[in-house]
Amino acid sequence: MQIDPSIKSRPTYQAPMLEEPAGLQLFVCQPEARGLLEPLYQQCASAQAQWVLADEETGTEALLASLQQMLVNVPVSTRLYVAGHEGFLWDVRNLALEAGLVDEQIQLAPPVSRGRRLFCTHCYTLMEGVEASPHSCSGCGRLLLVRDHFSRLHGAYVGVQINAEDPSELPEQEVLQ
Amino acid sequence: MSIDSIPVRVAAIEAVAPMIREFRLEAIDGSLPAFSPGSHVQVAMPGEQREIRNAYSLCSDPRETGSYRIAVRLQEDSRGGSAFMHSQVSVGDRLQITPPANFFAPAWHARKHLLIAGGVGITPFMSYIPELERQGADFELHYLYRSSQTGAYRDELMHRLGQAFNGYDSDAGVRCDLSVLLSNREPGSHVYICGPESLIEGVRETARALGWPESLIHYEAFAAPEPGEPFKAKLVRSGRAVEVAADESLLEALEREGIEVPNLCRGGVCGQCVTSVVEGSVEHRDDFLSADEKASGTCIMPCVSRAAGNHLILDL
Repeated sequence: MQIDPSIKSRPTYQAPMLEEPAGLQLFVCQPEARGLLEPLYQQCASAQAQWVLADEETGTEALLASLQQMLVNVPVSTRLYVAGHEGFLWDVRNLALEAGLVDEQIQLAPPVSRGRRLFCTHCYTLMEGVEASPHSCSGCGRLLLVRDHFSRLHGAYVGVQINAEDPSELPEQEVLQ
Repeated sequence: MSIDSIPVRVAAIEAVAPMIREFRLEAIDGSLPAFSPGSHVQVAMPGEQREIRNAYSLCSDPRETGSYRIAVRLQEDSRGGSAFMHSQVSVGDRLQITPPANFFAPAWHARKHLLIAGGVGITPFMSYIPELERQGADFELHYLYRSSQTGAYRDELMHRLGQAFNGYDSDAGVRCDLSVLLSNREPGSHVYICGPESLIEGVRETARALGWPESLIHYEAFAAPEPGEPFKAKLVRSGRAVEVAADESLLEALEREGIEVPNLCRGGVCGQCVTSVVEGSVEHRDDFLSADEKASGTCIMPCVSRAAGNHLILDL
């Protein structure tokens, strides 16, 4: 996949590498991404390595809530390895920063899907799994151009109305890279 | 000094430790600029051979307007700066200083601040502590000193900080175990070190071995430039040549000849004085240039670094 180099904000991802020494190695993932972290987990001494998984029933929200509680009492030398959908990666990263961790301690694996989280700059609605542009905002109904510009704060790509001058104009949808 | 230097009057001098004197500086005209915790100023001192400029941390509460305080430790191998401050300066004297600059500000978002001071390295923390207290921040001071020489402000700090004060007087045989200090810390802990190079290195190595991320470790060392072999600097743009003596820095030699190079820290950390090298090999002594930049041989930090041979050709 080619990323337009003029878009500085779009994140690039690399397969995580084990960082040592670490007081605690935390492997945080959505169920479908576990395979991405399994080899790293196997390399760790078991006492220091711990999974933080979303189970099928309670889902991602519960995972984030328990991670937040957990991060209060982890050592300063904790390392975080995160895998899942792109929006999830950044939710975990932002939650970790709030707990006092720094980016140096957090590795985000390449997202498991192409689906983007989209932020509507008009009504601030967040939409998940967007694969084509333009996309109709589920909040305000505007037809949004899905930009490559990425907001780390929202873990989302930025959407702006594509036909503000003439809303009757309906450009053809294209699949996003 | 440069055009934005500030004339000040020495309003008070106090011995705050056997080898450390505190100077209170007042503005001669107008007022002094506000500063943030961790700031320093440069003080110009007329030495025997040449003017010397040293950077000193401001050690007063940033809310204390109207005057600055600095504390100067008499260095055994003084190049003239600290000896001048200790033996030549009296109350009422005039000095020239630069406006404050800051390369050592607290990370305000930290959940816990661990302040580690060695000797006169307590000074920047004297400006941190009042502000950390006002913000209700969680912090600890770990103060390593030798009571026969340093240890300024320790009684006041012990009283003021209570449990948060940890003193280690090596003259009384009290040592600080860095690995205990740095172990079992929670996320969001930031560590700050000001003191001799050996202390900074000791803390950084211990923290690294314990897995601390580098960006949680902040440090500042103000060291006088180490002497070296004399050399000649040729300046291509002005066509001049400057002899650099063994005991002066390239920056000082340039200033002596009236060639102003922008600078702030004079200790190889801020990057302001970076100068292009046209020819000659450099003995790099700074903490600013990356390993690649140093290897390229195309630039030098004249505040601390020197020629590796007998000459350098600079783009000045």
